[in-house]
Amino acid sequence: MAATANSETSQIHRFHQYKYVDAVRWLPVLSAFNRFAVLATSDFDSNLSFIEIHSFKPNPLSFDFQSSWTSPSPISSLKASQFLQNSIIAATTSSGSLHFLFADSTDATLQSEVSVPENELHSVSETCIDLMDGGVECVTVGDDGKVNLVTVGNSNLNYRRLFDSGGLVSYTAVKWASPVEFATGGYGFGLHWWDQRKPGGPVSQFKGNWDKNLNSGIVHSIDIHPSRKHTCLAGGSLGTVLAWDLRWQQQPIILSGTGAGDGAGNSAVQSISESEVWEVQYDRCIKSNTSSTRILPAMICSEDGILGVIEQGEEPIELLAEPCAINSFDIDQHNPLDVICSLEWESVAILTRQ
Amino acid sequence: MSPDAVGNGALIPFSGETNDSLAVYPLHHGLARPISRVALSWSRGNSLRVSLFAEPSGSFDTGDGAKVIEVKLGGGDPEIDDADWRRIAYGSVAPFALLQSRRNSLSALSKSSYHLDWWEHVLQYSKDISSLLTGPKLAPNPIIEDPNEIVTKNEEPTCLKAAWELMEIFYVDKQSQAWLPEKLVDWLADYDSLFTSTQETIHGKLVDFQNDLVNIQVIEDDPRYWEVMSSALSVGWLDIVVKMLRLHGSYQIDQLSKRELENGLVEAVAVLISKMPRLRPESAAGNLGECFKSKPDFTKAWEKWRSQITKLDCSPYWIQCDNQQTREGLRNMLQVMLGNTENLCTASCYWIELYVSHFLYIRPFTTGIESMYNLAQKCIQLKTPTGTHRLTGLMIGILAENTEVVIAEISREFGPWMVAHAVELLTSGSEEAEILLHDERYNLGGISMVELHRLAYAQVLSSHALTWQIAPIYLTSCMKQGMGLLENLLYRQSVQHNNLLLKNIEICRLYELDHISSNIMKVAGVYHWKHGRKGAGVFWLQQSQDTNCLDRIAQQLFDSVGKSISDESFKQWEGLIELLGSESKPAGGLEFLHKYRDFKKSLQMVYSGKSTDAARQALMKNPSTPQRFWLPLLFDSLKLLNWKDSPLLSVSETNLLLNKLQELSLARQRPHFTEPNLPPQALSSIRLALATNLGRAILDE
Repeated sequence: MAATANSETSQIHRFHQYKYVDAVRWLPVLSAFNRFAVLATSDFDSNLSFIEIHSFKPNPLSFDFQSSWTSPSPISSLKASQFLQNSIIAATTSSGSLHFLFADSTDATLQSEVSVPENELHSVSETCIDLMDGGVECVTVGDDGKVNLVTVGNSNLNYRRLFDSGGLVSYTAVKWASPVEFATGGYGFGLHWWDQRKPGGPVSQFKGNWDKNLNSGIVHSIDIHPSRKHTCLAGGSLGTVLAWDLRWQQQPIILSGTGAGDGAGNSAVQSISESEVWEVQYDRCIKSNTSSTRILPAMICSEDGILGVIEQGEEPIELLAEPCAINSFDIDQHNPLDVICSLEWESVAILTRQ
Repeated sequence: MSPDAVGNGALIPFSGETNDSLAVYPLHHGLARPISRVALSWSRGNSLRVSLFAEPSGSFDTGDGAKVIEVKLGGGDPEIDDADWRRIAYGSVAPFALLQSRRNSLSALSKSSYHLDWWEHVLQYSKDISSLLTGPKLAPNPIIEDPNEIVTKNEEPTCLKAAWELMEIFYVDKQSQAWLPEKLVDWLADYDSLFTSTQETIHGKLVDFQNDLVNIQVIEDDPRYWEVMSSALSVGWLDIVVKMLRLHGSYQIDQLSKRELENGLVEAVAVLISKMPRLRPESAAGNLGECFKSKPDFTKAWEKWRSQITKLDCSPYWIQCDNQQTREGLRNMLQVMLGNTENLCTASCYWIELYVSHFLYIRPFTTGIESMYNLAQKCIQLKTPTGTHRLTGLMIGILAENTEVVIAEISREFGPWMVAHAVELLTSGSEEAEILLHDERYNLGGISMVELHRLAYAQVLSSHALTWQIAPIYLTSCMKQGMGLLENLLYRQSVQHNNLLLKNIEICRLYELDHISSNIMKVAGVYHWKHGRKGAGVFWLQQSQDTNCLDRIAQQLFDSVGKSISDESFKQWEGLIELLGSESKPAGGLEFLHKYRDFKKSLQMVYSGKSTDAARQALMKNPSTPQRFWLPLLFDSLKLLNWKDSPLLSVSETNLLLNKLQELSLARQRPHFTEPNLPPQALSSIRLALATNLGRAILDE
């Protein structure tokens, strides 16, 4: 069993939203006094979808609505980043359009929006995006098998198609590794490594011999740590979290997963969850004793309501155990002790670790 | 119902005989032309989708030809909107599931379904649910207290919570059974304001008076001051009464010397009120009154208190008090405290208030539901209700000990959520109710009333996209029909979106419904395949282990492979082939693709001058190769056959290949043969290469 973090080490605040929360992110801002969260919400009563900015104050506790933008259809992927004086929010919708919102860095008011209409980048399908840290490059992938690169300017944007598998391969996750490299994830726990300098397809494919001792599944989320670009952390079905080291391609390091079962060498793996791992991120609260050969600690959220931290060779730590699914979470870049997550039951939880 | 179009464009239903209960709602559709056809279907939740088609017209510019309108049926609950009902639905899942699992573990321990301490579990459940029913929080109280503020409230009360707490008081809370009347006093103090909607209430009078307070110069001269105070006293709101008494003009410093006697009387009454003995364990912190747990202690204090009141009532000071308003007002309050029926009747506004005042001042020892019911009937006679309130029907049903009436009342007034959850309260302490509600009934199709109401609630949950995921919790607690309906629910969910699909499959896993998840995955696989997402389609079909389907789509896939796999586009196929894995997985004929890829790779190695052995093996060891690939394969391997240094294939191997070629030529004569996309001289060049190879091999051996 996973150890449970007791209430003394963290404070949990829940905020009911009265509409479905599709995704949630912290907004990177410069202001020291204000904390802002970006929520992608869907109101099923009015059939409208929004990107909303809320300001969070721990003392006295408040989570107040600031401003919102109405989206043409529900948001399927949401990312936020900072560029010069602006905060950029990038989002794809379920109808395949891509939108960039620019927010003021100090008070988070939404100022302008540029977008790529539907069917330009992706046909109606599920899509995933990643926005480069401190940059304006955005990579979009979809289950239609298309991979696009979008560059945002102040009022215009350029985009080009990097690859089209014609639906033979579907992509469900993407993450930048460096300004020219990124990793994608898909069905069958497939992980691909791409390099813009070598066009025409992925430069490397992850080949685990899954069928021997692992049930197959879908990758839902990827993270790559800026200090260790050769390691690709992926989370997906059956509670699976694995690290793929480009230097030892044939051997994935399984950090969690029921599918690992009785596979040789994986018997020691503890599983934090048995269901879908919806999102995975390196935990930015790095402890000093982490040696360089081990995989850095990672935070996950899952369909069975777990928000937890897993570390190679350690017992997983449960930060939250909810009665409903936790669909997404984000660790605050500037204050990594704060985690925001979206719950299936129309609410948002903010966890402040001590 | 047959709709008819009338002149102004509104649709009205009509029926043959006049029916009083017929309701007509105008529908604004904005169609210019008369309506020729109407189609009705259910939309999300309890919305009705009405499609209206106008009569066809010759010209194009006469406006829209059809409109689809969504009509929301039923206004829903006036005090709780849909989003808030969902919040309550989410929150009640955990308490409900906990109670069910406790019931199961208890009944596993012993055969009897009735347990002495079961009510404690139900009380915990009831408190958990009750905490969800709180209305929206009001603004926090100001830090500086307003001296004129008489009525304070922290949260907006709701009828739903009031009904729930009423049931908790009567059915669950066994510990407080001895001071049930005092519990009712507290209940009325919390929820009296709710009755303001249908009749005059003491709370309403208090609020009105408070609003007028700023305009009143001399408070004790206003008859409403005394009226409101004896009313509040009659229902036991001691704090409010004492606070109001202290607003009396005689307390003002400039008047104190002149009205010393009057002030003494006011203060004496205030002290008596604050010393009122109550038969209850303890009251909320700071509340006035003295609490006694045991009856003998209470009786002693009660007699003493009443004798003090009588003594004050007979005191000679009243004659010396020259303020008539004060004199009469205070003595009236003393009569209320002495339990004068007439005074209580005028002080209270409706029967529940009168009922509560009886408990406080006339019959503090009332025990047993039957005597409480008799008293209630007496109060109803004294104060005939002018209108009905949604809570009074429930209260009478509870007092009359009629479980069926209670169920009917809460079902009508509060809907399926309430019934499904309140059933636990009704059965917690009474074996009779337990039998009534858990008995399987023929007229309900062999299910019990409990199951019926749970199923009804589960249907409500199932009809909304955000709540269907919690319906399984309620369905699985229904022994007879739950599983069948659960299977229906899971089949009905859309497979279009991966997240939804995976959540659905997760529910199947939780309830061990493998056959359903396998079918759902099959549907998802075919859906993705049809929409051009071949990889996703193959993945889901593999997950569902549907070899039939995989074989079928393999044939389609080969068609496109034969055309496109040539060289450059091979990158696209790589990912799909990875997905297929090796032959240990059911992949239909698809595993051939895997080998074909390996063969292609080894051929490339040959071209770059490396070992030829792998390619030769890949060519020869593929018994599963579909016939249509024989020719392209052989054509691809021309270079191998014409290998310069030495013949790569032995005599027997070459013979085998020649036989295959012969077989192929025969197959060409048959119908349905698909001609591979190769240059016309391909066959002859293969035959030549094979013949050459054979010759060289014979010489070698």
